[in-house]
This record gives sequence, structure tokens and C-alpha cells, in this order.
Amino acid sequence: MTQADAPALSTTQPEDFFQLLKPRVMSLVIFTAATGLVVAGADINPLVAAIAILCIAVGAGAAGALNMALEGETDALMRRTRGRPVAAGRLKSNDALIFGVVLSIFSVMLLGMNTNWTAAGLLLLTIVYYAVFYTLMLKRRTPQNIVIGGAAGAFPPVIGWAAATGDAPWQAWLLFLIIFLWTPPHSWALALYSTGDYAKAGIPMMPVARGAKSTRLQILIYSLVFVPVAIAPGLTGLGGPVYLAVSGLGGLLFLALAFRLWRSRAGDQPDKAEAVGREAALYDVRAEAKPARNLFAFSILYLMALFAALLVERFASFGAA
Amino acid sequence: MPTYLTPEQLTARNRRSLWIALGLVGFIVLIFLTTFLRMQSNLAERKAMNVPVAEATR
Repeated sequence: MTQADAPALSTTQPEDFFQLLKPRVMSLVIFTAATGLVVAGADINPLVAAIAILCIAVGAGAAGALNMALEGETDALMRRTRGRPVAAGRLKSNDALIFGVVLSIFSVMLLGMNTNWTAAGLLLLTIVYYAVFYTLMLKRRTPQNIVIGGAAGAFPPVIGWAAATGDAPWQAWLLFLIIFLWTPPHSWALALYSTGDYAKAGIPMMPVARGAKSTRLQILIYSLVFVPVAIAPGLTGLGGPVYLAVSGLGGLLFLALAFRLWRSRAGDQPDKAEAVGREAALYDVRAEAKPARNLFAFSILYLMALFAALLVERFASFGAA
Repeated sequence: MPTYLTPEQLTARNRRSLWIALGLVGFIVLIFLTTFLRMQSNLAERKAMNVPVAEATR
């Protein structure tokens, strides 16, 4: 090879590989998986627990890497994702694919060896579900993509629970259901003020496929189903009074925001960045789209608060014992 | 034929190599810890069940 050929060689930085893991999603996965693991209440060695959480986090990161490897061209069309390593051309999609596959194998294997094969099997299912079922099959085919695909993001607390006990009882699936039902109002609220991006990328998100009005109604309906499920752990013994207070008060606010969004005209006009032709921050939106942004932002806070309440109560009970 | 790298390519390759090495070392440590913890819990289980930890050798 001559010096003239040299630019063909990679200048990919380690940070690009790290970005493939979707660190922000990963932090949510760590949090929810850790909650599942702690709330399960099993007597587990802290080091085993830490390695299990690491494996779940790396597995989730691997799924993110596979997603970016398969979606580089689509990501390049959207403001929110155009800076990703594959979309921006800093990393070849093939390299991202190999990276994702290797991390998937290592994380699943290590989780199985470290805890049990039920947890490892669930982690493998999550990765395949997200990378193959959601990314390749659902995302471009149906406006229900995020509803069905949301299950991938809901698995971590179940995996954490299974890692601690070797089992996945109904309480673990209740945590799954909370995240599963939280995903549509959360994602569609964001989609309401990013419609232009999704349309450009050819992704049939609900506001693109069915319009803003129908999306706002569906957000309200999902919120009405989601909030009682979010409160349920407080009534079934999984959570205590703190959880009940947090889920109840937060739930009321969630419903109020969803109701306000339903009454609004969010998503009826093109989003601000498109209208003014510049890069927009995630929270910089048109005045009429603010109800959508408010629900999107609060939904993250609410989910965090729910799981934090479970964790706090469990640690408090450890302290009391 | 020799391969010539630009300074950027060289730096990027060195940094990637360093992180691959660190990743491998981390993985080895994790495998070691997992093996150790597994053996420890298996021994504790046997002890609790009053099963001899090892057969006496003749």
C-alpha cells in the first residue's frame, strides 16, 4: 500500500465505538435492571450482582450497536441521529456489526456463567428482539413499531430479576409491563415534534402514518392504561407507601399532561427546526408543540422516579433488617 | 510493499489497540472472578448440605 492509499485506512476512534453502545439508553437499562435485581430480594453476592448488571448493560449496548450498524443510512436523514458514528461516516457499518455481534456473544455467555441461563436466555432474546425483530422487521412496516418494539426496552428489569433468582415471576413481568406501556406515550410525544424527520426517513411513526390528532388521542388512551399499571406495584406489595405516593401523584400529573396534549394542536404544524431551517435542540420546539415536549420530558422523570422509589424502599428495608 | 499511515491513522490505530487490550484484560478478569465466585458458592452449598468437599485421595 502506498501513502496515496492511506486515507482508506480507518481513523475510527474508540469513542466512536463507545457511542455505538448508546450510553444514555444504557444508563436507563442499568438503572431498571439493577432495580429488578435488587427488588427480587434474593441473597446475591454483590460482585456477582455487579457483573450481572455489567453484562446486561453491555448486551443492551450490543443491541444498540447492531441497530446503528443496520440503520446507518436512515440515521443520516434525521437530525436526532445524524451525528451517530455510522451515520456520520466515522465508522463502517460492517465494523459496527462485528462489534455488536462480538459484544452480544460475550455478554450473554458471561451472564450465563455468572448467574444462570434463564437470565442469559432473556438477554439474548432482548438483543435479537431489538436488532432483528424491531430494527429489521417492524420499524419500517407498521406505525405500531414502537408499541411492539418497546418490549425490548422493557426486558432489563426481568433479566435483573432472573439474574438474582433464576426465575421470572409475575412481579418481574409487572415491571416489564410498566416500561412496555410507558413507551408509546413517551415515544409518540417525541415523534409529534419530530414528524418531519421520520417522514424524511420513511419511518411510519404514528404521527406520520395516522396524523397528529390520532396520535394525541392514542397517547391519552395509552396514558389511561399506563398510569394504573404504574400504581399497581404499590397495591400488590411490590412497592410500599413511598412508591404508592410517587406513582399516584406522578401518575396524576402524567394524565394531566397527556390530557393537555390531547387538547392541544401539537404536531399539526411542521416542527420548529424544519420551519426555521436550523438544527434544533430536543427541547426547543414551537409554542403549540410544548405540551408534547412537556409530556416527553416528564415521562422520563416519572419512569426514573418509579424505579427509584422501588430501590429506595428495598434498601430501606435492608437497613431496617 | 510497506504501509504508510498518516499521523491521524497512526494515532487512531494506537488508541484502538490500547482499548482492545484493556477490553481483553477486563474480560479475562471477569472470567477469573466469575470462576472464583462460582467455585466459592458451590463449596458453600456443599458445606451447607454436609457433602464432603473433596474425596480423600488414597
